[in-house]
Amino acid sequence: MSTVATASDPTRHFFQPVIVCLTVASVALTLFVIWISLHDLSLMRAGREKFVGLDNYIRFLGDPRAMAALWRTVLFTTLATVIEIALGLAVVLFLDRNFAMKRLVRTLLLVPIIMTPVVVGLTWRFLFDSATGMANYLLSLVGIAQVDWLGSPRIALFAVLIADIWQWTPFVILLVMAALESAPTDPLNAARVDGAREWQVTWYVLLPMLRRALAIVALIRAIDSIKAFDLFYIMTRGGPALSTETLNYYGYIVAFTNFDISYSLAIAIILTIFTNVALLTMYSVLFPKTGDR
Amino acid sequence: MAQLSIRSVSKSYGAVQVLDDVSVEVEEGSFVVLLGPSGCGKSTLLHAVAGLNPIDSGTIVIGDRNVTNLPARDRDVAMVFQSYALYPTMTVAQNIAFPLKMRGLDRRTSDEKVAGVARLLQIEPLMSRLPRELSGGQRQRVAIGRALVRDPRLFLFDEPLSNLDAALRTELRAEIKRLHQSIRRTMVYVTHDQTEALTLADKIVVLKAGKIEQTGTPLSLYDDPDNAFVAGFIGTPRMNFLKATVADDGKALLAGEARVDITHLATRLENGRAVTLGIRPEHLDEKDGVTLSLSVDVTERLGSTSYVHGALASGESVVAERREDQPGFGETITLRFQPTRARVFDGEGSRIR
Repeated sequence: MSTVATASDPTRHFFQPVIVCLTVASVALTLFVIWISLHDLSLMRAGREKFVGLDNYIRFLGDPRAMAALWRTVLFTTLATVIEIALGLAVVLFLDRNFAMKRLVRTLLLVPIIMTPVVVGLTWRFLFDSATGMANYLLSLVGIAQVDWLGSPRIALFAVLIADIWQWTPFVILLVMAALESAPTDPLNAARVDGAREWQVTWYVLLPMLRRALAIVALIRAIDSIKAFDLFYIMTRGGPALSTETLNYYGYIVAFTNFDISYSLAIAIILTIFTNVALLTMYSVLFPKTGDR
Repeated sequence: MAQLSIRSVSKSYGAVQVLDDVSVEVEEGSFVVLLGPSGCGKSTLLHAVAGLNPIDSGTIVIGDRNVTNLPARDRDVAMVFQSYALYPTMTVAQNIAFPLKMRGLDRRTSDEKVAGVARLLQIEPLMSRLPRELSGGQRQRVAIGRALVRDPRLFLFDEPLSNLDAALRTELRAEIKRLHQSIRRTMVYVTHDQTEALTLADKIVVLKAGKIEQTGTPLSLYDDPDNAFVAGFIGTPRMNFLKATVADDGKALLAGEARVDITHLATRLENGRAVTLGIRPEHLDEKDGVTLSLSVDVTERLGSTSYVHGALASGESVVAERREDQPGFGETITLRFQPTRARVFDGEGSRIR
């Protein structure tokens, strides 16, 4: 579409005001948030805030609790994304293109996605209950001792991770399945005739064709994992001993428990910058400007 | 010895029988075309030969090996697909080198072979491009290159020209013919286009609904069809079929006002029997012989010749070639043909010789 055509396109009267409103709103809010983050606004001392410059950002760098939360966010996002993609892809490749009861399976896959995080969190909290939970009961059947899933600082983060994987791997499966269905089958047959074994067909021909879909799913999952809040809130509330406190959750605590609004917003901005840098890096690796696609 | 033997191969999808006891022998170095309308099972048969479709019963032998139960990769065949089936994420060079890579050939030999094929098919400037940056004709050339590069026992072509425009199709058709003449390898080619079949084949196998209708050289199928299906399927414009009855103690056929002498037939036909008379458009423009009068609807002028579409007094529509004049709409012209040119078919469409 040429720029001339766009300029004379009457539909712009509908979408341009919307774009202007959204832009103004987001720019104004961002600037307002940055402005507040440069003060020391606290609900405990309402009306006595003053400009403090970059103090809140410097405080973040020296805050061990914040740094630990940042590291936990990175760990959780990386593990969740990698495991969900790998597991989802494995399931899709394992299930054939046309297996019996495909429609039923596809419907069942939607259940965890549709379920509200509160229900998912509560369900997994019951499953992981160290005294009465199903998880420990199943482990006891194979002779493994009780695990304090949500009570042990070393394990709790992984317990939440398992719940996240349970809820979001089906999403990966659905998207990759759709990509697989729209991929042409002739190149796969051509590779078989050309002498490729089944794993070679998958590795050299099928996976490269699915790369774009996988990259997009990975981006979506990474963004969601960084922002994850509800599962943590329901299952652990950041505990035990802060062992499941992500940066997002820490920001919430600072704002709504400590009422330190300015510092909380500084954390939110740092998380935003961090997310953007990480995702842009990921994007440029997954979609190189030169080369295919 | 035959390079490819397909022996009594049958296959069905549920209740639909797509291949019904099909047997084909392909001689070493020959070019065999599987010809038929869509849904006749020709592609299924080719995929079965390639090892991409399992068969229900029968045997497939390539060279001296029974490959019926071997996977595609062990059959030593190369295939060119209608959709080109290039690997979308690989460059042209990587596409052509793929079969060599799968066979573990070292990089230098592989590069040399790929370069050789590129030279043969004149696709050298395209080597670093991706398939989606190529035109249809270029893609099909690359696909042919990928088949050529590893010197297989058998080349399979699955309607390779169907997705190309008419001019390119003619050009690539000639190129495939030239390729076959220069490398003299065994090729099996599937098409629904009888022109492709007639121009390329040493031998044509005509399939219909999973069964072989007739096997023979292009000219034998054209001159001496076994049944009305083959007679109608091969040749453009298609053969005219007229209703006729036997008269004069089996010595002649009556078709409308025309009386056609059939004393040259070996079979004696009883009086009054209903048969079908087949006569090709190009045999209706003789100086003398049996006459039919045609009232003209449309004349197609092709330059060197013309085709006249019209109806006989009986209402049957007929297409006739006309080399001398181009009659217009509403004119009535006289068609003449030699009785020996007529082909006679019985009620089931089988040829009466």
